[in-house]
Amino acid sequence: MTESPFSEELAPSRSRPPWQYALVAVPLLVAGLVFWWGYNRAQPHQFSGAVIQGLTAAPDFSLSSDSGPVSLSDHRGKLVVLYFGYTFCPDVCPTTLQDVADAIEILDDDDAKDVQLIFVTVDPVRDTAERLGEYVRHFDESFLGVTGTEEEIGSVATLYGIYYRAGEGSEATGYLMEHTATLLVIDREGNLKEVIPFGVDSEGIAADFEYMLR
Amino acid sequence: MRRIWAALAAAVLLAAAGCAGGADIEVTDAWGRPSPSAASNGALYMMIANNTDSVDHLVAVSSSACGVAELHESIMSDGVMSMSPVGSAGIEIPAGGEATLEVGGLHVMCIDKQADFIAGDTYEVTLEFDKAGSLTVDVEIREG
Repeated sequence: MTESPFSEELAPSRSRPPWQYALVAVPLLVAGLVFWWGYNRAQPHQFSGAVIQGLTAAPDFSLSSDSGPVSLSDHRGKLVVLYFGYTFCPDVCPTTLQDVADAIEILDDDDAKDVQLIFVTVDPVRDTAERLGEYVRHFDESFLGVTGTEEEIGSVATLYGIYYRAGEGSEATGYLMEHTATLLVIDREGNLKEVIPFGVDSEGIAADFEYMLR
Repeated sequence: MRRIWAALAAAVLLAAAGCAGGADIEVTDAWGRPSPSAASNGALYMMIANNTDSVDHLVAVSSSACGVAELHESIMSDGVMSMSPVGSAGIEIPAGGEATLEVGGLHVMCIDKQADFIAGDTYEVTLEFDKAGSLTVDVEIREG
């Protein structure tokens, strides 16, 4: 075994006391944090969903809840979140409603009061106004669940580009609905502003709500 | 005396075999979301690990918490969500691998819930595997 001629240089230097490293490391860390903070502040808000550019007036509609008729225009001045689903749906619909409820929890009280979720059933045959009311209030007391005739639901869905149809289920489930599972966000002025896909977490939803409420 | 030793040895062997058998299929993180009675159905999620070197299939599920329990899959395509029962082969649990039943994917569809699902409750669910036979697990009701 021969000794490497470089072994002397490669050996770690033990002469420097450790606190001297802190003289370099701490200012570097502080500079990094300041830069990161400033960089983040300078960035425009990153939406979690697709932003609708320009002014797209959200078409008005009127459907029935267990506390009477509900029109979109009743809620002008608030951020209205529209979701099309059905109470028979065990997976994606309750997950989405819980995510929105959690997002509202994250907001401060003033902002939270200014968010109105309206759940429109795509299964008016099985979803009565009473069932819908009980279902949506399980997630948040402020949520509204609305239904109508098959024709009324069909025309509202068409206005908002929502696809749905009754698909095959099993003997036990009966038919199962296929439906567009996005959240549509309408701003205080009544313009359709954002489409949030399934899978965005409550923090992401809350950040978007907060931004649009400003 | 010899008989006692033989009996002890047999007991130890049986216990060892029992433990190994129990660990062939391991189910962890079994949960479901709280839901009111207005929701007829609920979804149950879990992680199923197959510790054997041969593939197995989850073919059926039952629980006293559900009128009927079926294996379903949510499929998202172009923003449209559809859900349908999985085929008769069931859910594959690869040899030495795992299958995840999760939000927006494979799940147990608990049809005609027999109770409100309240956070903190647990329900027994029996899983039927093609090779491993039946396994009963506790499913916890909790928020996410």
